[in-house]
Amino acid sequence: MSGIFDTDVENAWCPGCGNFPILDAVKKALERTGKAKHEIVLVSGIGQAAKLPHHVDVNVFNGLHGRALPAALAIKMANPSLTVVVTSGDGDIYGEGGNHFVHNIRRNPDIAVFVHDNQVYGLTKGQPSPTSDPGWAGSLQRSGVIAGPFPPLAAAIALGCGFVARGLASDVEFTADLMVRAIAHKGFALVDILQPCVTFNKKNTYQWYGKMAYKLPPDHDAADRARAFELSLEWEERIPIGVLYRSGDRPPFEELHPGVGDPPLHARETPPDAVRDLLRKRLFTLP
Amino acid sequence: MGVDINIRVTGGAGQGLHTVGGLLGRLAIATGHHFHATQDYMSRIRGGRNSYSVRIREIPVRAGRRQADITISLDPGHLPHILSSTAPAGIVVCDLPAGTAGSGDPRVITAPLKEMAVSAGSPILANIVGAGIVARALGIPQDTVERVLALEFKGDFLEKNRVAARLGGEWMDPRVPSGHRLPDAAFHPRMILAGNEALALGAVAGGCKFAAGYPMTPGSGILHGLSVDGPPLGLVFEQAEDEIAALNMAIGASYAGARAMVATSGGGFALMVEALSVAGMLEAPVVVALGMRPGPATGMPTRTGQEDLAFALSAGHGEFPRLVLSPGSVEEAYALAHHAMEMSEAYQVPCILLTDQYLADTVVDADPGDFPALPVNRRIVRGNEVPRDAKGKYLRYAITGNGVSPMAVPGEPGITVVVDSDEHTEDGHLTEDHAVRIAMVEKRMRKGEALEMETLPPLLAGPPDGEVLLIGFGSTKGVIAEAREILSAGGIAAAAVHLRQVAPFPAGAVSEILDRYRTALTVENNRTGQLARLIRAETGHDVSGTISRFDGLPFTPEDVAERVKERR
Repeated sequence: MSGIFDTDVENAWCPGCGNFPILDAVKKALERTGKAKHEIVLVSGIGQAAKLPHHVDVNVFNGLHGRALPAALAIKMANPSLTVVVTSGDGDIYGEGGNHFVHNIRRNPDIAVFVHDNQVYGLTKGQPSPTSDPGWAGSLQRSGVIAGPFPPLAAAIALGCGFVARGLASDVEFTADLMVRAIAHKGFALVDILQPCVTFNKKNTYQWYGKMAYKLPPDHDAADRARAFELSLEWEERIPIGVLYRSGDRPPFEELHPGVGDPPLHARETPPDAVRDLLRKRLFTLP
Repeated sequence: MGVDINIRVTGGAGQGLHTVGGLLGRLAIATGHHFHATQDYMSRIRGGRNSYSVRIREIPVRAGRRQADITISLDPGHLPHILSSTAPAGIVVCDLPAGTAGSGDPRVITAPLKEMAVSAGSPILANIVGAGIVARALGIPQDTVERVLALEFKGDFLEKNRVAARLGGEWMDPRVPSGHRLPDAAFHPRMILAGNEALALGAVAGGCKFAAGYPMTPGSGILHGLSVDGPPLGLVFEQAEDEIAALNMAIGASYAGARAMVATSGGGFALMVEALSVAGMLEAPVVVALGMRPGPATGMPTRTGQEDLAFALSAGHGEFPRLVLSPGSVEEAYALAHHAMEMSEAYQVPCILLTDQYLADTVVDADPGDFPALPVNRRIVRGNEVPRDAKGKYLRYAITGNGVSPMAVPGEPGITVVVDSDEHTEDGHLTEDHAVRIAMVEKRMRKGEALEMETLPPLLAGPPDGEVLLIGFGSTKGVIAEAREILSAGGIAAAAVHLRQVAPFPAGAVSEILDRYRTALTVENNRTGQLARLIRAETGHDVSGTISRFDGLPFTPEDVAERVKERR
């Protein structure tokens, strides 16, 4: 595929990596938004997934491991006219950045968050991630993961996230469609993407996901939060993909935060008279 | 020497010490005098043993004094402790149940503070009764007291406060001790500011438009200032979920073109350290206010220390230039916060403002002329100024002579802004090319060299050469200045050097000054002499020693002077 968002940055992913179809989906989705390159910011942390923004010709903030969300929030607050999309891995968003995941869902800024969820730390060579299945024996946990998996969709629904979806890396069209809807959603939108790691995760493979994943039926009522929560817990037998939950519209964080808005922060002036007024408040004079 | 009266109000948290302390400071200004107020408080919400000291002089005051001349004790249980810090000719006024320890001391005067407060309308007015007592002892007319009260309170509560102050004054009338009366002086309008407030105002005046933070004493006061004084000038404030988020947010806002800052204390700064390094790598202008307190770990949360100098200088993995400023007064807190905003953007480096609990909570009156509205020089490039490659792609990290690459912001039509915490090419994309790595390291280091050219020189006071040189950084400025006066008055010619910038270090200037004095002593609120080590590392000179204090309290001028004498 070649398109307006291509870059010539050398790719560092393994052949067959689930990041390739996710990259295709991201570019398709961004094209469908109709936004110009300069209006979009891709924000990521660290990991193989977090390298994705380098392959999309838009504004890029590739920050620290786990810290994509605080940076994305502030970019959105500084300039709400930008379309801010976070794209990073499960270890990054759910592990290292777990606290920011929790609190930014509470804040509800208008940011779409795409999590490449391959249930493994790939770049550091095969350690279990927060979403690894219990019993899976990766590097550093050779006797098998003891801790229960972090349930991203259930957690997001419980925390009040207004758009909770699951994509499937191998289904580019389907996932791109979820991404378009996530970007269009006004508020924090999560798309957790089932992604095979062809090198380190020999359990959750393309074939395994192909067998386990099923598309939510057209009559699924995404407004039913309790039903969405129930669906978000399905994993052992089969795994639902699609929009599990979509709340009614509510104003996003940056619309509620006093002071955020026009003009963007970079264009705000500091008039000397306003500074003098501020200083005058500290001046003690007798009436 | 003129008038020099130290007043202390002691009691528990929640007894209105801050209110009465503030009131006494205003009374000093209203009568044409000057004051310096410090707080000593415990890490609790109610109760405990806290004090608010207000020192009044005819000249601007920049240090506290150990011994109080007049103490109002709102909690008599503290009497033995209070007497140990009361001047020999001083007085202690308190409500004293019979048999209280220390009650036999001739300096103690029993006053029915609570009873008077109740008859004024509420037991909580005991602090204002105390203010009335002090005002009468100082010879301040009741009319002046009421005018100042009217600036603070309104309506029925103002009336109760007036009555409380009057009752205190009337009770004191027949008991007024000699020697505390303030001479007549002309009133001049003065700024009244705490260190934290001044720092926040300086940042706002310096164009700060985004601030984030997680509460931590003594940094919280700066956050409070930013959140209150910032919004009228377009600053957006966000309370972060943790300090890691706070600095990453500030860096995100900076990427989007906002001047941004955070404020914290040592523990919070420890959490920010990885982000500090990313600011170095992304070349994101950002300001971190670090209010020091004694550590390690939680240490003494509400007390003062200067233990994080070495930490601030070296925090962050990898090598990158930084600016570390150390304001020594409310005037410098204001000016250097503005300077930090300017320099951080000019050189695209993180800047740390190193302060401490003592400066944070010190309130003084200051000359309005020392708080100018200085220009804010934004350096964001747009349109044709944006450096591009042959394909028209913006080179965020364009290699330049002084290492500073013109900064554009996302949203600028026709370009995209790419930044990466990995080593990167000129267009911001990650690279593992060793030649590019070398070029980028050198580019960042050239910024450090350029920054060095603008190093703020140390401030030298006193004789240009001679016997004793005292060297300090940050909050000790006023204390050392007065210690020098005490020493000079005692026949010891001493000079003082104040460092308001510690990185890049003014090595040449300090080295040259050190050569001119026989004995050079650093004065530091830490145990290990971090400034002395820094001077050795930067200049190759050893100082003669360190006057150190690490009990959690600030130096006083007498402390420093006595310890200089011991060392001679």
